[in-house]
This record gives sequence, C-alpha cells and structure tokens, in this order.
Amino acid sequence: MLKLRSSGLSCGVCANFHIPIPRCYMNSITTSSIDVKPRVPLYLRPPSFSASLSELTKWHKWAKNLASSVGSSFINLDNGPDSTLLRRELNWLLQDLIELQHRSVILSRLESGNNENPDVSVALRAPLEEMYCVWRQRIEKRRPFQYVVGCEHWRDLVLSVQEGVLIPRPETEVIIDLVEGVALNNAPELAQGFWADLGTGSGAIAIATARALATHAHGDACGRVIATDLSPVAVAVATSNVQRYGLQDVIEVRKGSWFEPLKDVQGKLAGVLSNPPYIPSGDISGLQAEVGQHEPILALDGGISGTNDLLHLIGGVASMLKPGGFFAFETNGEKQCKFLVEYIENEKPGSFRDMNIVSDFAGIQRFVMGFRR
Amino acid sequence: MSHSSSYKISLLESPKRLDFEEADMALASSMSFEIDGKGGDSGVGQGFWTVKEEALLGLVKGKEGHLCHVMAVGWIWAREFGSQAAIEPCTSDGLTVDGIASSKWTILEESESDWKSHAAAIAQSIQVIKRRLQWKKLMVRLDLLSAELNKPDLWNDPVHAGKISREHGSLMGKMKEVKAFEQELLEHIDMIKLAREEDDTELESESMKALLRMRRDSKDKELEALLAGENDSCSCYIEVQAGAGGTESMDWAAMVMQMYKTWAQRRGYGVTVVDEMPGEIAGIKRATIKVDGEYAFGYAKAEVGVHRLVRISPFDSGKRRHTSFAAVAVIPILGDGSSRVQINESDLRIERFRAGGAGGQHVNTTESAVRIVHIPTGVTATCQNERSQHQNKASAMAVLQSRLDQLEMARQAQMNSQHTQSLTEISWGNQIRTYVLHPYRLVKDLRTNYEVSDPDSVLEGDLDSFILSYLSASLDKGEGEQ
Repeated sequence: MLKLRSSGLSCGVCANFHIPIPRCYMNSITTSSIDVKPRVPLYLRPPSFSASLSELTKWHKWAKNLASSVGSSFINLDNGPDSTLLRRELNWLLQDLIELQHRSVILSRLESGNNENPDVSVALRAPLEEMYCVWRQRIEKRRPFQYVVGCEHWRDLVLSVQEGVLIPRPETEVIIDLVEGVALNNAPELAQGFWADLGTGSGAIAIATARALATHAHGDACGRVIATDLSPVAVAVATSNVQRYGLQDVIEVRKGSWFEPLKDVQGKLAGVLSNPPYIPSGDISGLQAEVGQHEPILALDGGISGTNDLLHLIGGVASMLKPGGFFAFETNGEKQCKFLVEYIENEKPGSFRDMNIVSDFAGIQRFVMGFRR
Repeated sequence: MSHSSSYKISLLESPKRLDFEEADMALASSMSFEIDGKGGDSGVGQGFWTVKEEALLGLVKGKEGHLCHVMAVGWIWAREFGSQAAIEPCTSDGLTVDGIASSKWTILEESESDWKSHAAAIAQSIQVIKRRLQWKKLMVRLDLLSAELNKPDLWNDPVHAGKISREHGSLMGKMKEVKAFEQELLEHIDMIKLAREEDDTELESESMKALLRMRRDSKDKELEALLAGENDSCSCYIEVQAGAGGTESMDWAAMVMQMYKTWAQRRGYGVTVVDEMPGEIAGIKRATIKVDGEYAFGYAKAEVGVHRLVRISPFDSGKRRHTSFAAVAVIPILGDGSSRVQINESDLRIERFRAGGAGGQHVNTTESAVRIVHIPTGVTATCQNERSQHQNKASAMAVLQSRLDQLEMARQAQMNSQHTQSLTEISWGNQIRTYVLHPYRLVKDLRTNYEVSDPDSVLEGDLDSFILSYLSASLDKGEGEQ
C-alpha cells in the first residue's frame, strides 16, 4: 500500500495574508529558496483598503485610456492582446479588486459614468496605488494579466499563479475532457487508481483530474493523484492550490523531474497526464512578450525540435502504467503528434492500444493519447 | 333526476361524501367536500383528482349532458345548459361580479368607506384581469386540456402528457385564483349585508377592511395578469444589433444595451454580458446579455423590434442630424420543467473563436471564446466574457439551447402568442419606438402611441411605463378580436 506523504509546505497561504505594502511585486520570487511562499491572489485578499468612488473612477478612466491606447499594436507586433481584450481584463481586475458585497453596484456605476456620491468609500483588496502600478506593468511591460491578479480561471477552477509558474492554457482543459470522456468512460475502474500529472505547474491538471475521479468513482475507493514538478515555485503554488480545493488527502505534490519521484508506483499507475515543455528552442525568442518575457522558460523550452521531454515521457510511460492504464500528453501541434505516434509504433510496438491524436478547439492536433496493453 | 328541475342540497346537512350513483354527476366545490369517484360512466375513471378539477370549472357533465352549478353559500343547482356554460357565482340575493361591474355604482377614493364603491372597483379589476388572461380562450383551452387528460392512452407519450398536464396545471392555477377572488368578493358583500341586518358593527368594519385590502390587491393582480404567458416568468437573453450606418449606429446599439442593463439592474435582475462584438471606433456591432430573474422575459418581450434614434451625431464633424437603428431580440430561457429541444452532441461543432497562430504554450491570452455551431440548423452561439474556456463553452451552450428552443417554438405555430422573433427574423422595417434627441426631445412608442418627453430618463432605464402600456394594449386588443 502506498501512503501519501504530507508535503511539508503548509506554511504558505495564511502567513502571506499580510501584504499591505503598496508595491508591485514583479519577479519578486527567488527561485533558489526551497521554502517558497505562494502569493495570495488578489480576489482572496481581505478588503482592508479603501478609496473614494471618485478616486476609483479616476483610476478606471486612466486604466481604460491606457488600454485603448494600445489599439492593435500588440497584435501586429507579436499577436498580443488588443484594446478590446485589455478592457475586458480591466473589468475582471475590477471584479477581483472590489469586495463582493457592493461589486455589482460599483461596477455598473463605473460603467454608466454616474457621478452621484463621489465621496462614498469603496472597500478594496489592494491599495489604488498598487493598481496604478500593476496596470502599467500589464500594458507597458506586457506582464500577463493572470500574474497581475494572481490567478487563472481554468475549467471550473480558479487557480493561483505567479511568476515562476506556467499559466495553464485553455487548450489544456481538453485533457480533462479526455480523462472523463475517454479514459473513465471506457474503463471506469481507472477512477479508483493512482494518476500522475507530470510537470504540474499550478496543479491544474492534477486538481481537475482528482475532481473528475471523485465524480466517477462510485462509492468506496476514490482514485488519487501524484503531481510532480522540478520547480520549487511550482511545487509551492500547486500545493497551495491543492489545499485551497481541500484535496490534500487526494493529491500529493512531489518535487522532482518527471518519473524520478515516482519510483514507488512504477507499473502501478492508472493514468499519466502531462503538458510538458514542447516549444522548439528556436521559437522561444519570437514568442509573444507575455510568454517569452514573463513565463518560466523551464516550462516552455522543449529542446531543438521541442520533443525532448515528450520523448522522455513516452520512453518511461509504458513501464509506469499498469496494463489498461491511460496516458495523454499535450504537444506543439500536428507535426509533433504525428512524430510521436510514429515513434511509439516503431520503438514500442505492441505496448499501447487505441492510440489517438486529438485536436483542440482551434482545430490544431494537440494531444496524443492511448491505453497501455 | 328530471332534466329541468333544479334541486338543492345543503352542505350543512349533507354528509361530506357524495355518491355518483345517487347524484348522477360529479360535483365538488373547491374546499368544502370531496367526491368518491365510483360512478364509472361519467368520465371519472381517471379518479378523484380529475373530478375535483372539473367540478371546480363548473363544467361537470352529468350522464345526460347536465352541468352542475356550485354555489358559494353551499347550494348545488343542476340545470340544463347548452354546450358552453360558465359558472356564475353570486351572493345570497343573486348579485354577480359582472352584475356589480355593470351596475354603475360610483367608484370613490379608497379612503371612502363605502362598500359599493370598493365592490365596484374590485369587480372592474376582475374584468380587466379576465380580459388580460383572455378568459374565454382560457376556458376553452382548459376544457380541451381536461378532455385530453381524460384520454386513457395519454401517458403512452409521456413527453406530450407531461406538457399537457403542466399547461393544465398552470391554467387551472390562474383560473382558480380568479375564481377564488370573485368568491371572496361576494362573500364579503354577503357578510356586510348580514352584519347590517344584525347590527353587528364589528363584523361590518372587518368586512369593509377586507374589501379595501382586496381592492388594493386587485391592482397587483391586474399587473400580474399582464404576465400570464406560458414563458413570461422565465429569465431571458436580450440581444441588440446595430443597423446600417457605421459608428453612429453602433454607438446607438451600445446605448440601447446600456438602457436594458440599467433597466434590469433597477428591477433587481441579475445582468451578465454573454457575448459582445465591439465596434471599431465606438459602440457595439451586437451583444447578448443574460437577464436573470422572475418575469424577465414577460417584461422584456415587449421590447422586441427596431428602435430608432434621431440626433446630431457626435461622430459627424459636420454636426448633421442622423437617424440610426438598432434591432432588439428577446429569447426566453425555458425552465428545466418545460420540454426543451434535445441537442445531440454529435450535431455540434465547437471551435475556438478568434484563435490564431500556434496556440498552446506559445500564446498567453485571456481570450478563450468559443463558438458552438448546431450543424443541422446552422444556429450558432458565442460566448467570450467568461474567464475560462470551459465556462465560455457552458454559457454558449446555454445560449444555443435557448435559440433552438425559440426556433422550435416558432415552428409550433399554435404557440404563436409565446413566440418572439429572433434577430434574424426582425425586419428593419419593424420599428417599434423612436427616440428623438434633436430638434425636439421625445420618445414615442409607435405601437401604443405612448410617449415621454424626457429621453434621458428612458435611456437610463426608465422603461416600465412603455413596457406596461404595450403589454396591456396588446392583450386588450387580443381579447377584443375574439
């Protein structure tokens, strides 16, 4: 029998509730420290600041103008966000900033330009000076919106993210559809087994998978998930996300590279999932500023052809899975998908069945999946 | 029992159980007694419930085509009726609601303690309510539904049966409510008369108070009756699309959308933007909002059509006067209980909206809009305002479901009264309201001729008077055509 270890990183969330200093924290994470403290996303901070409605309106106007000034220049530059998208992000920033109770009233006031009661005080989750600072970073430094608010909405989850952790992509949501629609549908008994999410980052795949297993497991034994990551920041952030969803008894976060921390479950896994780095090294310099200048290269760069880590995963997955076990990996697109399927057929003949390439919603062949024979 | 004789059974004397073989027909009043349905030949095979409901309708047929008449004071009459007859309750001295309404009793202020004035006001309200509920149609429909419910093979088609029984239940509820209200009026009148005969001032003043309360309630009931359509209580989507004319009309479309957002918020409805295509310079090309709350559809459906704006355009450097148009569509969000269109997963194509480039790790965007295409019908739905693709997909699915439901309603022509046009169906000639900001200031509804000289307040969401005047005008007109 396998026992889940406690991660030893429970310090995070509460200790970090004291961040009232109006400053911007870009790149404030020191990756050398093992004991990384995850940042509390804006929407979870206490509403212990305030501003008058007129001050807030002034900031909102300023921020809106800054967003509008972008026009389509970022699109032309590197397929970045346009003003419409930035204005939508601004609305979401407001949603996260303003205390829930009066949010809808305040938001509609800001939208309609209603000037009544300018002195009324609005409770905020961060000081307005910080908002000036972070919105400037969003536009001028192209700091990803998800790092600005400290969270990403992904499937039905809201996950904490911060510099050093890859922001989960919408495409990756489909992996969970595959877990539910293909794996658990065809082989319901897999819902009771051990699953692994390799290179978990924020913990997105692991958390969504654990929740899927819980819905599909009938009655007694519910499956468990082991999430691994080499990055201490990722391990800390994933751990705090797991705790926030109350899944610490179901998901274990382990630090280490790919299969390395999984020796104890070799040949026993019901499923292996991963969104490994897959961008060819040559493409890194041309990436959209939000990605190339802000997200962790460790989670993006997949070597010369982009398949270094994918090949490593495919090399190990057969021996990690139990017979009938399921795997799904995200890739860079059609070329990598086809290459990997061909590679498996040539190098691992007879190891897998029902191999398939699955497209994302943009129609790009994105995932390789199959079952261990 | 002979055909023409009338006979009385005092409920005070009779047992609380009537036997069909004895009475030869099904009788019941709403609350005071029950009937044992053992008379197999009078259509009571469906059991106690059916009998009770029919009896309430006052249309219970006896063996030989008799109709029974159940009266407030507890007397049961049987007379020979024609094919159609409605129950006509009255006071102990034969006063009916219609009789009161046509008696020309003067209606005084509420503060005047005059029972005749109160009674006349209430009776008038009851007539308005009945007109708005399209009373005659409602009775015929109920008759039809009851007959349908009595068919022994009804439940062979559970979907149809469910639909019939839901509609029957809903209409029956409305009918009962009005009946009970009428009954209450007559009882209070009887009470007042009795109190005067017996010099009981306490009873008289109590009954007077009750009448006044009824008079006030009746105004609310008039309003409720405006929203008695099958889907009126539903939440809805409101969609606005800019007409031809570039930025000026896109700005107008945004103003119209803002008007509905504030209107809905003021009414306490939840408002969420589901889909929005902004204009290049200002305004919106089109947008969809979801309005959550009771009777959102019932009110908003009054806004379907083309809204016209006349003003000096702020986008025209020559400061010329422009006329712009915006089309408004309203789609009900049917409750889970109603029969919704079944969507086949395999009929759907889900695509990322405005996706470009390599995607995946290459791109960091908060844009996760999806478009869902229903292949057989070509109906599409898009949502981009949620913060995850998963949620965008769920919202777009909900919009798609409602669009397909609406399409199905349109197909079933007999449900016409409940059908509101979709954006594609609205012709730009179908103008319902004009907003003039220059050279004079006026908002005028072209359907009712209702007008207001303060466009700002209307554009700030002050729409209720337009909506109510349209709803009452359309219902009153509908009844007149019968």
